Amino acid sequence: MTTTEILPPRESTELITQVDARGRKRRRRRILEDNPMRMVITRGPDRVAIYALLIIMGVAFAFPLYAMVAKSLQGFGIQNYTSLFTEPIGGVSILSTYVNSFIIGVFHALLVVTVSTTAGYALSKLRFRGRELSFAAIILFLAVPGTALIVPVFHITQQFDMFNTHIGVALPEAALTIPFGVLLMRNYGRNIDDALMEAATLDGAGHFRAFWHVFLPLSRPVVVNLIVLCFIWSLQDFLWPSMLFTNPNLTTAAQAVASFSNVLGRSPEDFGRYNASLVLLAIPAVLFVLFGLRFIVNGLTAGSTKD
Amino acid sequence: MTSQSPRTTAAPPRRKKRRDGWVALVFLSPLLVMYAIYFAYSIFFLGETSFQKVGIAMLRPVQVGFENYRLLFTDPVFAQSIINNLVFAAISIVAALSIAFFIAVALSTGVRGRKWFYLLFLLPALMPVSLVATIFGSMLQERFGILNETLRSIGLGALAQSWLTTPALAYTAVALIFCYLIGLPIMYYTADLSALPTSALEAALLDGAGTWRIMGSIIYPMMRGTHITVILALLLGSFRALEVVLFSTGGGPGTTTEIVGTYLYGYVNSTGKTIGYASAASIVVLIIALGISLVQMYLTRTRKADL
Repeated sequence: MTTTEILPPRESTELITQVDARGRKRRRRRILEDNPMRMVITRGPDRVAIYALLIIMGVAFAFPLYAMVAKSLQGFGIQNYTSLFTEPIGGVSILSTYVNSFIIGVFHALLVVTVSTTAGYALSKLRFRGRELSFAAIILFLAVPGTALIVPVFHITQQFDMFNTHIGVALPEAALTIPFGVLLMRNYGRNIDDALMEAATLDGAGHFRAFWHVFLPLSRPVVVNLIVLCFIWSLQDFLWPSMLFTNPNLTTAAQAVASFSNVLGRSPEDFGRYNASLVLLAIPAVLFVLFGLRFIVNGLTAGSTKD
Repeated sequence: MTSQSPRTTAAPPRRKKRRDGWVALVFLSPLLVMYAIYFAYSIFFLGETSFQKVGIAMLRPVQVGFENYRLLFTDPVFAQSIINNLVFAAISIVAALSIAFFIAVALSTGVRGRKWFYLLFLLPALMPVSLVATIFGSMLQERFGILNETLRSIGLGALAQSWLTTPALAYTAVALIFCYLIGLPIMYYTADLSALPTSALEAALLDGAGTWRIMGSIIYPMMRGTHITVILALLLGSFRALEVVLFSTGGGPGTTTEIVGTYLYGYVNSTGKTIGYASAASIVVLIIALGISLVQMYLTRTRKADL
């Protein structure tokens, strides 16, 4: 939850080339010719320098990852990994941590999408007094750090009797993501042509039908993007699970880093297994980069560059 | 002035406006419920408990007036954690404005294997932060940490250090983790680079500008808007950071690397009647965060006016 806004790399053109199997190479070359950024590299030596710098930084960035993987094979080699799947660590199975993070992500995304799309519609498509002021008041909370809300959230969770429930963790997560979601939906909504809304109204649709049948379908790319971000942030969140979960069956991936270290981190012979568990906990992030990034990319270029 | 004719023509739009007001209220109601519980009530609750001496069970609170605030402002650790927070934010901002900018430009020039580079540079920012910080923590261990092992194996054993127990080195280590998580600014820059006007690049080429000149004197100043966004996102992100410090140094040695997040987390998790004190600290942190939010809103607004 450390992020307030994410904007994407533009790779959509290249992705199109990868979908088309035929004549792929030729197509890719043409797109590279279209890429004006190619002009930045003016001379051969500069190209070498850029590659050299990228590789140096790449090695620096890869070193911690290498360290993790190298340590994970210490001791019993690949058996460190296989044993993690067969026996739970301190009563926590690694697969259940993915499932828990995923369930929280579902609730998180549902809450954020419901609140952000409705509020985004109101703030971009409805005319009412104090619209700009209320938008400003909503956005003000973009910066609220979760740690500053620990005490009241603990109390609220107690009042609602929601300790050790997935929704109990998803609610505060969603509360902290909503300001960003509203910002995203409102900016996107402003780019949706009002004429489409008016056409719907002329056809006799009320605001609710215009929202459901026009606004929501049109904002699908940015909603998908928001959903992906909600999952990433649920996967990353350590604070709320650690405050609100006491049941080991509910441990999430980010939380497991700490609980596994309590069980495995102490003894040297388990150190390999501990690192193997860390590698496994990083897998969802790799999948996000490989598959989810495209959605963030498409959603946000669609939403932000037209401004 | 308000004779009959304007009144009659003005009546229908005004009625429409009022109706939209009610519709807007309906559309905003999910947001209002979330805000009422998690922000309005939370802040009210923090305000109330910050004047009390009370434990986490909220039983038998004792009114102590401004005592918590007095203790807070005389606590050198709190002041230090705020300063640390700002220093770490500053370091990650410097890294973002230089390294992340370079990476984004270099990768957008269509270098080979840029998908792999993206994976490498963005992955750390999408993994659970608790995981990244843990990896750094174990990598920097004095005896079995892979950094010291690597240094010894390549004959640089003299450079091996007790990275996490020497205050200056531990501080540097935390700063490095903040720099490791610059995937987000890379995404920002990449997104904005895709909207870069081609004509500026062509003009620079005609004038005979080289690679570094184009990067430094043309693209860099043109990214002013993105710089502001990156700076503020990182500043706010640093106040949301908790895991970076908690899982690498734990705030130590002593309180050298303590930040606002770990400070609050530590107080809430400590036993005893310190909840009122933690509430007072939360209120101060919230005021700082909302202040930064206001600055952000002001700056992004002027930026829009520029465009």
